[in-house]
This record gives sequence, structure tokens and C-alpha cells, in this order.
Amino acid sequence: MTGPALRVAALSKRFGGTQALKDVDLEVAPGEIHALIGPNGSGKSTLIKILAGYHHAEPGAVAELDGEPFDLGQVTASRHDRLRFVHQELGLVGELSAIDNLALSRGFARTAFGNIRWPEMERRTSALVERFGLGIDVRRPLATATPVQRTVVAIAAALQGWEGRRGVLVLDEPTAVLPPGEVARLFGIVREIRDTGAAVLYVSHRMDEIFALADRVTVIRGGRRIATCPVAELTPRSLAELMAGEERETGHRPTPPRGPDGPVLEVRDLWTGPLRGVGFDLARGERLGITGLAGSGHEIVPYAVCGAHKGRVSGRLRLPERSERWTEARDADGLGLPLVPADRAGEGVIGDFSVGENLTLPLLDRLRARSGRLRGRRESALAEDWIRRVGVRTAGRHPAGARITTLSGGNQQKVVMARCLAQRPPVLTLCEPTAGVDIATRLQLYDLIERQADEGMGVIVSSSDTQDLLALCTRVLVVRDGRIAREISGRDITESALVHAMEGTE
Amino acid sequence: MTSTPTRAAGLPPSAPERSAVSVGTPVRRAAAALSFRNIGAVYVWLVIIALFSVWAPDTFPTTVTVRQVLNGNAVAGLVALSVVPPLAARVFDLSVAYTMSLTSVLTARFLVSAGLGPGAAIALAMTAALLIGVVNGIVVVVLRVDSFIATLATGALIQSLITMVTNDSSITGVQLLAEPFASIAQLDVGGITLPVLYLLLAALAIWFLLEHTATGRRLYATGFNADAARLQGVRTDRLRFLTLVASALLSGFAGVVFASSVGSGSPTAGTPYLLSAYAAAFVGATQLRAGRFNAWGTVLAVLLLGTGITGLGLATSAQWAASLFTGSVLIVALVLTGGRIALPAALRRRTGTRPAPATDKEI
Repeated sequence: MTGPALRVAALSKRFGGTQALKDVDLEVAPGEIHALIGPNGSGKSTLIKILAGYHHAEPGAVAELDGEPFDLGQVTASRHDRLRFVHQELGLVGELSAIDNLALSRGFARTAFGNIRWPEMERRTSALVERFGLGIDVRRPLATATPVQRTVVAIAAALQGWEGRRGVLVLDEPTAVLPPGEVARLFGIVREIRDTGAAVLYVSHRMDEIFALADRVTVIRGGRRIATCPVAELTPRSLAELMAGEERETGHRPTPPRGPDGPVLEVRDLWTGPLRGVGFDLARGERLGITGLAGSGHEIVPYAVCGAHKGRVSGRLRLPERSERWTEARDADGLGLPLVPADRAGEGVIGDFSVGENLTLPLLDRLRARSGRLRGRRESALAEDWIRRVGVRTAGRHPAGARITTLSGGNQQKVVMARCLAQRPPVLTLCEPTAGVDIATRLQLYDLIERQADEGMGVIVSSSDTQDLLALCTRVLVVRDGRIAREISGRDITESALVHAMEGTE
Repeated sequence: MTSTPTRAAGLPPSAPERSAVSVGTPVRRAAAALSFRNIGAVYVWLVIIALFSVWAPDTFPTTVTVRQVLNGNAVAGLVALSVVPPLAARVFDLSVAYTMSLTSVLTARFLVSAGLGPGAAIALAMTAALLIGVVNGIVVVVLRVDSFIATLATGALIQSLITMVTNDSSITGVQLLAEPFASIAQLDVGGITLPVLYLLLAALAIWFLLEHTATGRRLYATGFNADAARLQGVRTDRLRFLTLVASALLSGFAGVVFASSVGSGSPTAGTPYLLSAYAAAFVGATQLRAGRFNAWGTVLAVLLLGTGITGLGLATSAQWAASLFTGSVLIVALVLTGGRIALPAALRRRTGTRPAPATDKEI
């Protein structure tokens, strides 16, 4: 047997106080599809980014390509010749054609006058793309191509000038953007590449893909390698157990909601994008989690409930304590439920505003004097009151006046949350509330959410991070294929129950 | 996950005792207010005044110059202020110069050819400006064309209207020079004409709107991050529409004042004011409220640019000096603020395509 095409050993990486990777070993043999699987935040993407030279590993790590050691901190020509990446975002320019996109990395064939030799470029590109046989028009802008065609162009771009037989192709969650029907075609292409004798490292968090495609699998969790074994030796159940790990004591068994109060929010029959008829009731003081794999549609639910989803939504909802009448989901913004959005920088905070201005933006009507003038003192008092209540830490001693971007991600999130709470809503809706938040602040956010629920607010948490669900929720709805596939509550909310429900391996 | 006791330990300590002085001492506040960062243009302005006083000691440091700078730049100031509210909401209205030309020729036309009284003529001209604002709003907000290119296009439409009304020649007539129309721009108190007062009132109104009302705060929120603003219930489309109406009305008013001050309706009245308006608004955005388009910063920039150009005119006879000065001040001001003020969306990379991830740079 020949040596591994790619070997890394004792790979560690630390970001501030978080150990992202700890002594991870990985071996990928030539002619195999090796899957790398792990839950969100397990360290998969950190590992890939270190291989790509984007992050630097801590000293002591060993890395070899086909038996030859290489420096992880340096991207040399020979490393580039053998190790190629197709990242999740594909790195393509949609307005440009396949020819142009491939030429961006490889360069154009030119005549003595410097003008591009288009016929040769077209031949060259077609030769690379056509072996996958998807009928891609190499001259059309990629924005007009199908998702699988774009993925193939990205793969073709990565394979240009690749030393295939001794090389390693890394595919980072390539199916995340593909519709189900196109996944099988992509798998065919990946197998074809493997059959040339190349090694493929296939990163995923979907177990079904591992069983359909991979020869061997490495499971990582919490920054450590848990196991490496042939897929044939695994069952979905045993792989899920490897991913979920032992039941850890979360130390935080949420109390079930009190009493049979009527629901504060009723949602019926939400249809939009991947969602096909999602409905639920939310009780007073309940902390309801909504989760699923990426693309299942769970992340759309909070947006749809708050009327902030950009696509067409159908369905209805009502706040029974406020009105018996049902509101159409497309008019849901009229209910005015506040949302803590997933993309904090893009939709949450206004970077050029101060902490105070960010906080009071939805409250301005309350701060208006009869003349239309904003009551400045009252505004800063309100802002500082909430800053104190949620425990925002700022550098200066004039916290409301500090620019929001001078705060850490966790503190910015507290501001976003305070802004929602200050509206005293019956229901608080959060999407990925702890993304990019350090552990200490995460605990503070959990506590804050819990306190609100104890005061009777209904809380909806949509998260793909099982930590959030374990620590926070009294009940979790798992969305699969656009429907609520499973409902787990109270003590039954465990990591393995969640993973099984998400993957559909119960 | 950790256990509950640890969680309790991780709770935020009660907020640190706030010091009795929460905003800083008066001295510190004054120092911040007077810093070069905050009002650099004032210092540059003083240097320019000193420079020209030495360069042209006989003609520059006189009350005549003061009057000339104030009276001569009031209209420019009005046009500059007209683009401030749209810019605050990150909307470009490049049609203001054409709107100004149009109201100037319409007012003149109604007074001279149609024989209307000044009140009716001005009312009709301002109605035209209002319509332009509505059309701009429809194209930019309802039809979702990028404002930069949309208002350039509506500007061309307005230009064709101007040509229809004037055949490309100025409209003159005794009616334009007669009272009370002439006094709109020419009545003066101690040599300072009424348009200076209009400028002050417009600046005061825009300052109050942007700094002291909920609407102003929402305008800035729309400009800085429209998605986040929308999620907070800000009606961004409506605000952007209204800023376009406001800029058309204010620049239209500037056209009426212009017609009164020169006593004619000129088809190219507004053209020279477009560049200076944007120069002043952008230089103004580097002043007082760094990074935000604001009224007094804009007025300050108009005065700075006006003083420099007037001084150059008195000290040299070089025709090219004025534009050189405007362009240089604009570049220096924007460089000093390090690109803090965003470019129009039309000039930025479209966000629809994802930029290649940084990890792709291994080539």
C-alpha cells in the first residue's frame, strides 16, 4: 500500500480563549473519498482553512503531501500543484462566463499583440468542463447557470493544472447550495475524480451524504478527532453517536413552562422557500427552539414570524392575548414582533451609529416631544438604563455614545437584544443568537433570555448550534425537508436526540 | 456546557459606578469640539483668509469681499443643502442642477410671456419642482433604479423641458427686474441680501430635522444600513422618496432665487452648481459630525470654497484657479477622513456576487 496522499498530525489551533482544534490527526489515502464530518463549531472549517493557508496552525503540527513534508504556514508552488480547494462559496464571479472565471486563476492565452485568443480559451475551458458532461455553455455568465453547473465550474477551476494522481481535492460542503436532485450528479463527478487515483477530502455535516459517497470518514467534535474508520463499518446510528458524543451534563435543565396558560403566539401553516406548512403554539414563558440542518428552512421561521422574510410567505399567525383575529403571514410585520437577526453586522447593528442610537432606533416615537423634537436626555437615559440592565461593556465611561463597532461581538449582540426587549414585546424571536460570541458572553445571553421568559415572555430561538438549544430551550422543533419532523421537550432534549432528529436517523 | 454555579459566576457584574461627570469636563468637551478633527475646515478657512489678506491686501480684507462671499454663495449654499437630506439616506440626486435651471426659466417665462403675477409664477414653478421630486422618487424608490444613474437620466429629461421652454436662450424682461419679484433676492440689510437669510433658515431646518427629530435619525439609519433599519420598522422607501421630493423643492427654490437675483431665466443656471453642491456636501460631511452629511458642515464648506474662489479671483486673474481649488479641497478633505464616507452604490462592487474568499489566494 502506498502512503497517504495527505497527512496532518498534531494540528492545534486556538482563537483567543477558544481551543478550536486540539491535536487533530488526519490521513487521506490516494484513490479514496475521505469524509470529514462534525457538528457546527466542531472545528471542520478551521481545519480546512489551515490546510488552505488561511489560518496558521500552532507550532508542532506535521503536514505531508504524498510523503513530503510541507510548511502549513506557506503556500508554495508544489503544495498548490497538489492540494486544491473548492470552498463553500465557490469563489466565482457570477457576471463572468466559465471561460473568464477559469482564466481568473490561470490567466488568458494571448497573441503577440496582447489580445486574448478567444478560440483557444474556449477550447481549453470546454475541455476542462465537458468531462463532467452537464452541457455548460462556457460563454454564458455563470449567474444564468444552474447551481450544480456552477459547482462544476468551481471544481474545474480548482482542477486546472492539478497534479491529479498525487493530488488532493478538498470539497467544503459542496451540496449546501444544491437542490436535492442535483446532489446525485455531483456525487457522480466526485467519484469520477476519485477513480483517476486522486484523493478527495469531502467536508460535510450531512450523514446521508457520507453513506452515499465516502469510503472512510473522520469524525471531529469539539476540536478533537473522535474516530476515523471505513464507512462500511458504520451504521447511521453509530455515526450519529460518534457525532453527538456522550451525553454531557449541560447543568441546565430548563424548567418546563408553567401552567396551562393560553399560548401567546399561534403560528399556522407557514409556506415559503423550503418551508412546507410549519405551525406551532408558543406558551407564555416558553423557550422554544427551532433547528434543522442547513437548508432545512428552520432559519427562515423567525424571519417569517416577524414579517422580515424577503420572499413570499403564506400562512397565518395571531397573538391571542392581543386579538382573536388572524394575521396573514405576509402582513406579519404589522404585529411588530422584534427580531434578533442572524447576521449581526448586516441586519442587526448600524455600524456608523453609537450604542445609544442603535438601541433607541425602534423606540424613537416614544421619545418625541410634541414639537417633534427628540428628547435627548430622555433618550440617553433610556439607552444607559438598558445598557446597564443587559450588562454591555464598553471601553469609555460614556457607554451610550461609543460607536457600536468598538464593542465586541457579544456586547453588540447584547445591544441588539436590549433593543428588542425595550419594546416590551410579548414574544422575543432570535436567530443564531450566539454566533460569533465568546463563551462567557454566551452564558450571559442565555441568562438574559431565561430571565425574560421567567417574566412571561415567549421566546423563539432558531439555532443550528446544539449548545444553544441544550442550554436554553424547554422544547425544540426539528425541521426536516421543510416540515416539523420531530418535537422534543424537557429532559428529552439531548445532543444525540437533536442530531438524530436533524439527520432523520431515529 | 458548564454547570449552573459557573453560569452565575459568569454573570455581568453590576454596571461600574458611573462617574458623576458622565460626558467629560466642560474643558474636555470644548477641546473636542474645537479639535482639528471636528472643525478642520474652520482652521483652513482662517488660514485662507490670512493668506489672501497678505496676498491681496488692498482688495481682499474688505467688507466688500465679505458681502461678495456671502451674497455670491447663498444660492450655491441652497443647492448644496438640497442634496444633504438625500445623501444622509444614501440617495444621490444629480438632477438638482437641472431642477434649478427649470424653475428659473419657468418663473421667468410665466412672468414675462404669460403675464402672471410673481406669486402665481413662483407657485407654478415650484409645482414643477414638486413633480420632478415625485418622478425621481418613483424611478428610484418604486422602480428601484440606482439613484445615481436614475437622477442623471431624469436630469436629461428636465434638460429637454428646459430647451422646450427656452429654445436654449435666456428669458429676460422688465417684469423680472420689477418689484416685488426682484426684491426676493436683492433686498438687503447692510449689504447682506435676503438669500443669505434663506440659506440660514434652510440650514436651520435641515439641522433640526437631521439632529433633533426621529425622522432625521431614521434617515441616517437608512443611509448607513438600510436592511437593519427596515428590520427596526424604519420605512426606508418612504423616507428615500421624501428626500428626493425635498431636494427637488429646495433646489427649485434656489432656481427662483437665482432668477430674481440675476433678473433673467437662464437655461444653464444650475449647471455650475452641481459640482460645488456635492463638493460642499462631502466636505461638510467631514466636519462637525464626522461621517454624516450635515447642514452646518455643508454651510461651512460653502463658505470655505466661496472664500477661496473669491480670494483667488482677487489675487490672480487665472480663470482656472476656481475649479482647481474646489477639486483640491474636496480631495484633501476626503483623503483626510480616509474614505469614511461611502461611495454611491453605482460605483461600488455589486453585492450580488460573492467576492472570492480570501482562501483562494494560494496561487
